[in-house]
Amino acid sequence: MIDFVQNTLDGVMIGSSYALLALGFTLIFGVMRRLNLSYGPTIMIGAYLGTLLHVDAGAGAAAVAAATVLGAALAGVYVERLCFAPMAAGAGIASMVSSFAIWMQLEQAAILVLPRHTYAFPPLAAGAPLTLGPFLVRLDHATMLIAAAALATGVYLVLHRTRFGLGLRAIVGNPVAAHLVGVDVRLSTLAAFALASAVGGVAGYLVLAVDQQVTPMFGMWATFKGLIAMMLGGLGSIPGAILGGLLLGAIEAHAQWYFGPHIRDLVTFAVLFLVLVLRPTGLIGEAPPAEAAAYGRA
Amino acid sequence: MLEVDGLVTAYGKIEALKGVSLGVERGGITCLLGPNGAGKTTLMMTIAGILRPRRGSIRFDGADLVGRTPAQIVAQGVALVPENRLVFPQMSVRENLLAGAYQRSDSGEIAADAERLYERFPRLRERREQLAGTLSGGEQQMLAVARALMSRPRLLLMDEPSLGLAPIVVDEIFRIIGELNRDGTTLFLVEQNAHKALQVAHRFYLMEQGRVTFSGTPGQLAEDEVIQRAYLGTRRAAV
Amino acid sequence: MDDHWVGVLSNIGVMSFLALSAYLLLLTGEISFGQQAFFAIGAYAAGIGTALWGWPLAAALGWAALAGAAAAVLVGLPTLRLHGLYFAIATLAFAEMVRILFEMWRYQVPIDGELLGPDGADGFRGIRYVFESNIEPSQYLAIIYALLGAVLLGFLLLERSRLGVSLRMIGEDPELAELNGIPVKRCKVLAAGLAGSLAGVGGGLYAHLTTYVEPRTFDVMLGVHSLAYGLIGGLGTALGPVIGVAIDISVLESVRMFAGYRMIVFGGLVALLLIWRPRGLLDETVVHALKARLRSACRCVWMSARVGETRR
Repeated sequence: MIDFVQNTLDGVMIGSSYALLALGFTLIFGVMRRLNLSYGPTIMIGAYLGTLLHVDAGAGAAAVAAATVLGAALAGVYVERLCFAPMAAGAGIASMVSSFAIWMQLEQAAILVLPRHTYAFPPLAAGAPLTLGPFLVRLDHATMLIAAAALATGVYLVLHRTRFGLGLRAIVGNPVAAHLVGVDVRLSTLAAFALASAVGGVAGYLVLAVDQQVTPMFGMWATFKGLIAMMLGGLGSIPGAILGGLLLGAIEAHAQWYFGPHIRDLVTFAVLFLVLVLRPTGLIGEAPPAEAAAYGRA
Repeated sequence: MLEVDGLVTAYGKIEALKGVSLGVERGGITCLLGPNGAGKTTLMMTIAGILRPRRGSIRFDGADLVGRTPAQIVAQGVALVPENRLVFPQMSVRENLLAGAYQRSDSGEIAADAERLYERFPRLRERREQLAGTLSGGEQQMLAVARALMSRPRLLLMDEPSLGLAPIVVDEIFRIIGELNRDGTTLFLVEQNAHKALQVAHRFYLMEQGRVTFSGTPGQLAEDEVIQRAYLGTRRAAV
Repeated sequence: MDDHWVGVLSNIGVMSFLALSAYLLLLTGEISFGQQAFFAIGAYAAGIGTALWGWPLAAALGWAALAGAAAAVLVGLPTLRLHGLYFAIATLAFAEMVRILFEMWRYQVPIDGELLGPDGADGFRGIRYVFESNIEPSQYLAIIYALLGAVLLGFLLLERSRLGVSLRMIGEDPELAELNGIPVKRCKVLAAGLAGSLAGVGGGLYAHLTTYVEPRTFDVMLGVHSLAYGLIGGLGTALGPVIGVAIDISVLESVRMFAGYRMIVFGGLVALLLIWRPRGLLDETVVHALKARLRSACRCVWMSARVGETRR
C-alpha cells in the first residue's frame, strides 16, 4: 500500500509536467485544428538555448529557465509562420508534414550548435527530500508540481478572464464567427502558438532540470509525451489535458515499479490504444467538434 | 450608406459574383432575394471581409472596405449575422455577447448594452449562463443577432435569419427586425422567405446566377413574380 | 552501375513499399502513423521464413504479405471506426507496442551450429538468403523493382476500378460515400489490409537487403517519414510517394556538400514545397492535366496514323 501511494505520488508529480506539455499541445490544436509535430522540437530549441548559456557563459538556473521559455516561444513563432500561417484552409495534412520537416531541421540545428550527445542541465532545487509520514517527496518534484499547477491556473485565467483569451476561445469555437465579431484571427493564432510553446518551454525546463541533462532527442520525447497525455485526457479539453498528464505520470510510475522500463512503455501505449478504441473522446473530452475528428480530410 | 459596385468574387476559376452593383440606404431595410446558388451568401461574406473580391469596390460611408480585414470592417460599424448563426457553442450566452463586443474597450457600456439586449431578448437572459450549443435554433438565432448588435453596428447584415426555424419563430425574428430598424439600425438582409421579406423591406434586389437582375420597391413587382424568380430564377437565367 | 548506387536504388525501392502503404490509407482520408509496424512484421516474418524455416524467397515474401495484411485487418477493425487524429494516434500506439514486443521477443533456433532468429533488442541477424543463393546485388535490385512495378501497375488498375473510385470518394467525404451506397467500413478495412500487405512485402525485401533487422529501426520516425513521402511526391498518383522517397534518399545522398546542414536545407525545402503545393509535386490537378495532355497526344498520333493510312 505504501509503495502504491508513493508511486502514485511520484507519478503525479512527474505527470504535472506532462500535463503542461499536453496543455500547450491542446491550445495549438484547439486554435488550429491541426497537429504541430514540431511542438517538442521547439521546446528542445529553447532548452538548447538555455544550455548554450549555461555551457558557454555559466548562466544560472533562472537565466537558463528564462532562455528556455523564450527560445521555445520564438521557435514556436518560426514554426507557425512557416508551417501553419501560409497554409490554406483544407491543407491540414500539409501543415502536419511540414511541421515534421521543420522538426528535422530544428534537431539538426541543435546538433550543429552543441554537437555532443548530452549536456548537463542545471538542477532546479537541490536538498534533502521532504518527508510526509511514511512518504518521501523529492524537492525538485515538489517544485515541479507547484510550478505546473501555478502555470495551469495562469493559463486558465488568461483564457477565461482576458480579452485575448475570449478571442482565442472564439476561434476555437468557430473561426469564421471569430472573424465576424472582430477578432484578429491571424494575430491571435500566432500569439496562441507562442503562448503554447512557452508553456511547453516551462514544462521542458522542469523535466530537464529534474533529469539534469539534455539531448537532441528531447524534442521527440516531448512531442510524444504531450500527444499521448492530450489524447488520454480528451482532445481539445484543458481539464482533459491536465488529467491525461497526471494519469500518464501515474501509469508510468506504477508500471516502472512493478515491471521495469520496457514494459512501462508497453503498458502506456496499451492504455492509450484501449482508451482510444473504447472511448475515443478521451477520459473527459467532450464530443469532438466535427472538424477535429475530420481534420485528416481537411 | 453602402455602395457595392462591379463586385466580382471567385472560388478558383468559378465566379460566384459576376459584377454585382447595389446600394443600401441609411435607415432602411434592404432585402436581397434570389434562388440557392445565386451568390447571396458570397456577397455577404465579401462585404464582411471574409472573402476577398477579385474586382469591384465596396464603399461604406465613403470608406473603401475592399482589402480590409473583417476586424477592421467591424470597427467601421458593419456587423454580419451569418448564415446558420455560427454561435460559439462551448461558450455561455453571456460570453457570446462579450465576444460580440470584442472590438470595444468600454466595459461599463458593454455591460449596459448586454443588459438592454437581455431586455429585448428575455429568453437569452433566462439562459445567460447556459452553453450556446445547447440552445434551440430560434434561441441561437436571437443570440447571433444580439452578438452582432454588441459591436454597435451602424449597418447590420443578416444572412438568412429565418433559415430552418419554425414559422412562429420566424414571425418573432421579423418582429425584431422591424423593431431594430425603428430604433435606428440600417439593415441589409438576405432572405429565402420572399413573402416575409417583402413585408418589411423598403427596397429589394433580386439576384440570379451572380448578377443583380432587379431592383426596386416592394410595390413595383407582383409578389407572385418575385417569389417565382426568387425561388426558381427567371426563364432566361434557367436556360 | 557501382555498388553504392545499387544500394541507394535498392533502398528507394524498398522504402517505396512503405510509402505506398501509407499513401493507400491516405487515399481513404486516413492518416496512419503506424505502417512501420506491418513493415516490421513483414521483415521478421520473411526473415524467419528463409533463415529459420529454409523457405525460398518468394514463399517468404508471400508469407510476409499475408502476415502484414492479417495484422493490419486485425488492428483496423477496432481502429477504423475512429477518425482523423484519433485513428492516427491509435495506429501510433499500436506500432509502438509492436516495436517494444519485438524488442522483447526471442525465438532462436540453431542452424548449422549457429543460433539464428530474433534476439530481442539486439535484433535478428543472419538473414543471408540472398547472399547464400548467389543473387547479385544488381539482381536483387531487379527483383525489388519488378515487384514495385507490379504494385504500381496494381495501383493503376485500382485507380480505374470501382474500388479505387470508392476509396477516393471515401477520402473526400465518407458520409456522402455512405449515402451513395458505398460500404465505407468494408472498403476501409480492405484498404488497410492491402496497405498492410504492401508494407509486409516491403519489410520482407528490406530484411533480405540488409541481412539483419533491429526493432529500433521501426520507430515512429519511420512511420512519419513514410507518410511525408506521399505529400512530397504528390497525392495525385501512386508515383508520387515513390518520387518522394527518391527525392529524400537519392537527392540527399548525392548532395553531400551540405554535410552537417543536410536536414536544415532539406527540412526547409520541404516546408517551402508544401506552401507552394500542399498536396505534393504531382497533386490531383497536375496529374489530371498530364493525363489530358497524354490523351490528346495519343489521339494526335492515332489521327496522323489514320491520315497516313488513307493517303496510302
